[in-house]
Amino acid sequence: MRTRKRTGWRRIVNGVNIAGLISVLFIALPLYWMTIGSFETPANLASSPPQWFPVPGTTANYSTAFSQYHFWIFFRNSLIVTIIATALVLALGTLAGYALGRTPMRGKFSLLVVLLMISVFPEIAIIAPLYLLMREIGWLNSYQALILPYTAFNLPFAIWILRNYFLGIPKEMEETGRIDGAGPLRTMWSIVLPQALPGLFTAGIFCFTACWTEFLMALTFNAQTNFQTIPVGIATFGTQDITPFPTIFAASVVAVIPIGILVFIFRKFVISGLTSGAVKG
Amino acid sequence: MATVSLEQVNKVYPNGFHAVHDLSLDIADGEFMVLVGPSGCGKTTALRMVAGLEDISSGTLKIGTRTVNDVTPKDRDIAMVFQNYALYPHMTVAENIGFALKLRKMPKTDIEARVKETAEILGLTEWLNRKPGQLSGGQRQRVAMGRAIVREPSVFLMDEPLSNLDAKLRVQMRAEVSRIQRRINVSTIYVTHDQIEAMTMGDRVAVMRAGLLQQCDNPQVLYDHPDNLFVAAFIGSPAMNLYEASVTEGAAAVRVGSQQIDLPASVTTAHSGLAAFAGKRIVLGLRPEHLPASGDARPGPTLTGDVDLVEALGSELMVHFTIDAKRVQAEGAHDPDAEDVAAAGEGVARVDPRAPVKAGERFTFAIDADGMQFFDPETGLAIW
Amino acid sequence: MAAISTTAERTTAAAPPRGRRDANTKKLARIGWGFSAPALLVIAAVTIFPIVYSVIMSVSNVQLSGNGFALNGITGGNYSVLVHAAVWRYAVIFTIVYTLITVIVELVIGTCIALVLERLTAGRGWLMALLLIPWSMITVINAELYGYIYNGTYGVYQYLTGLVGLGHPVILGTPTGAIAGMMVADIWKTTPFVAIIVLAGLVMLPGDVYEAAEMDGASGWTTFWRITLPLLRPTIALAVMFRVLQAFGLFDLPYVLTGGGPGYSTNSLAILGYFAMFKNLDFGPGAAVATSTAALVLLGCLASLRVFRVQVGKENA
Repeated sequence: MRTRKRTGWRRIVNGVNIAGLISVLFIALPLYWMTIGSFETPANLASSPPQWFPVPGTTANYSTAFSQYHFWIFFRNSLIVTIIATALVLALGTLAGYALGRTPMRGKFSLLVVLLMISVFPEIAIIAPLYLLMREIGWLNSYQALILPYTAFNLPFAIWILRNYFLGIPKEMEETGRIDGAGPLRTMWSIVLPQALPGLFTAGIFCFTACWTEFLMALTFNAQTNFQTIPVGIATFGTQDITPFPTIFAASVVAVIPIGILVFIFRKFVISGLTSGAVKG
Repeated sequence: MATVSLEQVNKVYPNGFHAVHDLSLDIADGEFMVLVGPSGCGKTTALRMVAGLEDISSGTLKIGTRTVNDVTPKDRDIAMVFQNYALYPHMTVAENIGFALKLRKMPKTDIEARVKETAEILGLTEWLNRKPGQLSGGQRQRVAMGRAIVREPSVFLMDEPLSNLDAKLRVQMRAEVSRIQRRINVSTIYVTHDQIEAMTMGDRVAVMRAGLLQQCDNPQVLYDHPDNLFVAAFIGSPAMNLYEASVTEGAAAVRVGSQQIDLPASVTTAHSGLAAFAGKRIVLGLRPEHLPASGDARPGPTLTGDVDLVEALGSELMVHFTIDAKRVQAEGAHDPDAEDVAAAGEGVARVDPRAPVKAGERFTFAIDADGMQFFDPETGLAIW
Repeated sequence: MAAISTTAERTTAAAPPRGRRDANTKKLARIGWGFSAPALLVIAAVTIFPIVYSVIMSVSNVQLSGNGFALNGITGGNYSVLVHAAVWRYAVIFTIVYTLITVIVELVIGTCIALVLERLTAGRGWLMALLLIPWSMITVINAELYGYIYNGTYGVYQYLTGLVGLGHPVILGTPTGAIAGMMVADIWKTTPFVAIIVLAGLVMLPGDVYEAAEMDGASGWTTFWRITLPLLRPTIALAVMFRVLQAFGLFDLPYVLTGGGPGYSTNSLAILGYFAMFKNLDFGPGAAVATSTAALVLLGCLASLRVFRVQVGKENA
């Protein structure tokens, strides 16, 4: 049935394409509202019936977000925390993924299962002791208070993905390296890593996304504006009674752009990452 | 350059699989040693133990005079060519060949000179700046060779290096690998499952089966005097015809099915052991070329069979025939798909192109009696 | 056919010890542990210690003082508080039901989207990219966005229902409305994730199976039920496992969208635990909530261990 020939207008207007269009609308409409909302005046956004186009348009919401709500601080914090955590995850994850994929360690299997379980462990289960620990060592309101847990929580999945990639590289390449006299680090750097770049992209984009969007720990550990990240910042916009939607939307658009671009560029790797587990089964 | 010696080497995997049993081999300086056998016979495991990529469960491995069981691969002074070549896809041909030298911290200019020289030997000079992905199969194979010889190791290890090439290129590279090996004169262990490759390339050939060394000798000896049924069946193409037979009382003839083949005195003297089998069952082996012509054309023993098929090759006729004796199989020596065909008592003869042989008729072949082989059906060992 | 063995007589030699690991292998294994050590240490520090501590705290009398707290003896009190608290029982049921419903709906819609995407004749790449935007979006923004859409006075949803004559239902003000509204927001964000996993599974299916089914005269519907779905089972199992375990940690969405309300109608276990610990400073009961949540997740993990085993791959078999 997948090869059934359709002719004339039925080629364009058919059940499949219509269902596709509905899915597009379901996904795209909220995004559309968010985007136009960010360009509307507060009065227009709060009008009923809602406007479909931002007329008259304004960029005031953006300047409000940055000037009045310190959005650039949140943005900077998010960038710092996310980039450092991602770099750490890739560095440590590459080493561990290689070791678990390729070296004759005993108990690899159990270790991998434990790692997978940790990667789905609910944050709530560890947030209190971690909070108390951070308070004890004076890490509350600091970058490392987020960088360390983000690194730990994203490592298992990164190790997992990278290991799968390493397993796909012919073992003989490393064996040739060993015979030729390359030490383990040299083998990793010169032989394995260049070929595992897609895996690094995949693990990197997943880690970046997870850190960029994390909320619970960011909310708990860093109460001071100076160290808050975007999710916490946006959640605390406004007051108990008023939610400044236009400003929130403006900030949201800014927050979505970097990750949106990243995801768009690396979409091939995201998709292969989402499925690498299924594929290797 | 160095000798390699394996003494009672064993490999047992953690799951209990005994891949190599008590393998003892001595490879002389500059010798081209081929390990051959059906897949799973332990030949690759043996090679990887020499390389240091597999642990040696027990036994001793020496390169030169040094015991190297616990020496890391890089300190064994060996180079290895893999079946899939294992070329680094992100490096150019020159970088691939020079990588090992770079690891040894050799000065750049020296590396360049050595790489250039190697590329000339292999005819790779114009491809030095390409990446492996842009090369043909034969060129990649050459790069893999180049990566090994540029290091000037004392031992070469090759694991089925030609099996990824197409048939024509394989024949060509066979000669080329031999030529290069002679030129640089480095002890070489070469693993293959292809007995033709083994016969054409090896100074000596070690035939392995199920982890056990069956026979190790130069190709002609293996062919003319196989130690046992397995070697007899494995070496040679088309394979030796092996039939269940029995020795008559007095040991002057053998019975194959309903036929009796009288043995000339030359055979009974050469195979004096046959006397002990008088009245007992044996396995009779006849290579196709030992059934060379029509029985009318030559005096001596004959064998009559029903001709199924005649393949004219110009220089000779390949005659497929059937006799009423059971064909004997040596486990693992044949393509499993071919077994049911061969089981019926079929045989192959290489007959003079002028012989009057036609499919569907009975034909009497002359037997070249000195080529006859006899085996003990219980132990599989050759009877001499 | 007489098969003659040339091995039998030589197999009696004493077998060497199994799997002896020589210096090379041992060295490689040591390098392996050395390479994994930093990652394992970081993971252990941030997860193992707190998990153990959390369990200890959940069975202790936690006493808060001016700038610290102390654990005073072992008690089962925290758990008995939980079992007797209607809020906790509600949160458990809410979390489970919420997870079940959202995962099932996501799976159905996600599979449909994947099937549509697979056959789409135009714009497939763009649609895939579009699908990834909700997936990569900050959940807090997702919540704010739906907060606006559901807004009682000027929300888009109100407008749309009014347009088709359904009046102006209150979404976030009633328990049922809030739960349903939250589910829609969640489904909007995570269905694309499911769709992409299923799509990748679909693409991997061998095409000749379909051709064979077509030759056998199977209808499109039969093909889907009898061939596509069974072949997709491992993929779907993976998606379900990830989603179920994720959904158990539900926190961001209710925190921003409903604050757990109205009343405690959208109190997930994570919300309950968070408020207990960080708003009411009831660390003992809070830890008990956290530990019980972890236990539930662990149960889910054990239940899906088979899936894990398949994933760990064959080389460890």
